[in-house]
Amino acid sequence: MTFLRRQLPLVITFVAGVIFTLQYYVPHPKSEILLTEGSLWIQIIGLFALVLGVTSLFHIHAVKIKRQEPGWGYSLILYFGIVVTLAVGLFVQWVGGQHPGGKETIDGAMTAFGWIYTYTMVPLQGTMFAILAFFIASAAYRSFRARSKEAALLLTAAVIVMMGRVPLGEYLLPVTGDITLWILNVLNASVRRAILIGISLGAVALSIKIIFGLERAYLGGGKE
Amino acid sequence: MSFPEKMLRIDRRIIFFVIGLCTLLPLLYPVDLPIIVTPEVRMVYDYIESLPDGSVFLLSMDFDPASKPELEPQAIALLRHAFSRNLRVIAMTLWLPGTGLAEQTVNRVAQELGKVNGEDYVFLGYSPGVGALIIGMGQDLYKAFPSDYYGNPTKTLAVLKDVPNLRHVDYVVSLAAGTPGVETWYLFGKDKYQFELGGGCTGVIAPGLYPLLRSGQINGLIGGMRGAAEYELLIDQSGSAVAGMDAQSATHFAIIVLVILCNTFYFMTRRAAARGG
Repeated sequence: MTFLRRQLPLVITFVAGVIFTLQYYVPHPKSEILLTEGSLWIQIIGLFALVLGVTSLFHIHAVKIKRQEPGWGYSLILYFGIVVTLAVGLFVQWVGGQHPGGKETIDGAMTAFGWIYTYTMVPLQGTMFAILAFFIASAAYRSFRARSKEAALLLTAAVIVMMGRVPLGEYLLPVTGDITLWILNVLNASVRRAILIGISLGAVALSIKIIFGLERAYLGGGKE
Repeated sequence: MSFPEKMLRIDRRIIFFVIGLCTLLPLLYPVDLPIIVTPEVRMVYDYIESLPDGSVFLLSMDFDPASKPELEPQAIALLRHAFSRNLRVIAMTLWLPGTGLAEQTVNRVAQELGKVNGEDYVFLGYSPGVGALIIGMGQDLYKAFPSDYYGNPTKTLAVLKDVPNLRHVDYVVSLAAGTPGVETWYLFGKDKYQFELGGGCTGVIAPGLYPLLRSGQINGLIGGMRGAAEYELLIDQSGSAVAGMDAQSATHFAIIVLVILCNTFYFMTRRAAARGG
């Protein structure tokens, strides 16, 4: 069992990692075919991850409901939502007796699944995101204070950008538009670039460690 | 408790009410303040303008319903522009929850401009894999998407004739609410398959994409509802983004006033504490 749990994944990771790293530098047609096939494999494996994710979600919330942990009512609603949406998407035939097959529309007509999507998921997600505006305003009032020179600098930049990104700010103080563009294009871009370079180097280092089996956290824990 | 201290602990429902009013009133009574078009939005517009009839334009709507108010107006404006220029449009999404929204948007704009599915445009829908999917499309589009969203074989579609992979796409724009999005299209697509790439995004993630813009990795950037409003003005078709700009102006100013007030009260309490102590 140790071979299947440890050695085999390490071998697969090493072989796949080395092959696809070299593939990038080899423009031979056979190398391109390998990339085409490899990308299809990854797409198929991605589907399994989707199934795994849904199964895991079901399991976590089933345990919560069973133990009646705090907030188990929300888990029940989630369960209800998933089961109803799945059942409607898979089985309910609304449009000319055609099977919906998880589609929102068939020949331009909305399916039952499409109705759930349009009239529950879209407004619910929109509402959740819209609420953020209220909380951001409240949080800004409570915590955006010039406690130090650095905080004062950040605060000034934020006020200028908030003014420069809306027509009213540019109308009252036209220069804020240009200063905003300068802050975004010069100060912000250079700092972001430094962060990006750092992240990229970290990703390269981590990839090398994973390929050579030095980093094994992705294999998970458990008994050998 | 002193007045400034009381004000610092103000009931947050009052702030919610102020923000609610600042959003609602400008929507009911619009002022229509002038909107200035920024260079990064104009660059996307100019590039589409420069494409000849029949060029292939791929729009990846990489967002879910949460970002609809910001990114749907961008998608509508870009699609109207692309269709009016007689470009062949390929629409798709890398976000599973955004599939229905993307489909509705594409079909609505296409119908509005009398475009025919399969001939003038195609909706490929969603497929898993993200980076692998983009690589797959770069290698063989017909293999990555054997059929469109409605089950029609992609090889037989007139709109995809002579478009075997991403190297034959003239312009790709990703409208992103996060990852996967613009960066993903650059990393797995443009870098290897050498197509021109533009970006659109929510206001929150726009600052993070400026390095890509400055280095030429993307040739333009439409940021948030403001960017969408600018694009609507460029194509001379004001929509929901232009309508929302007054509300955004009012809420931005409400937050600025709140921040100034909170700092005023904060310094008043600090001064009082220094005097007392």
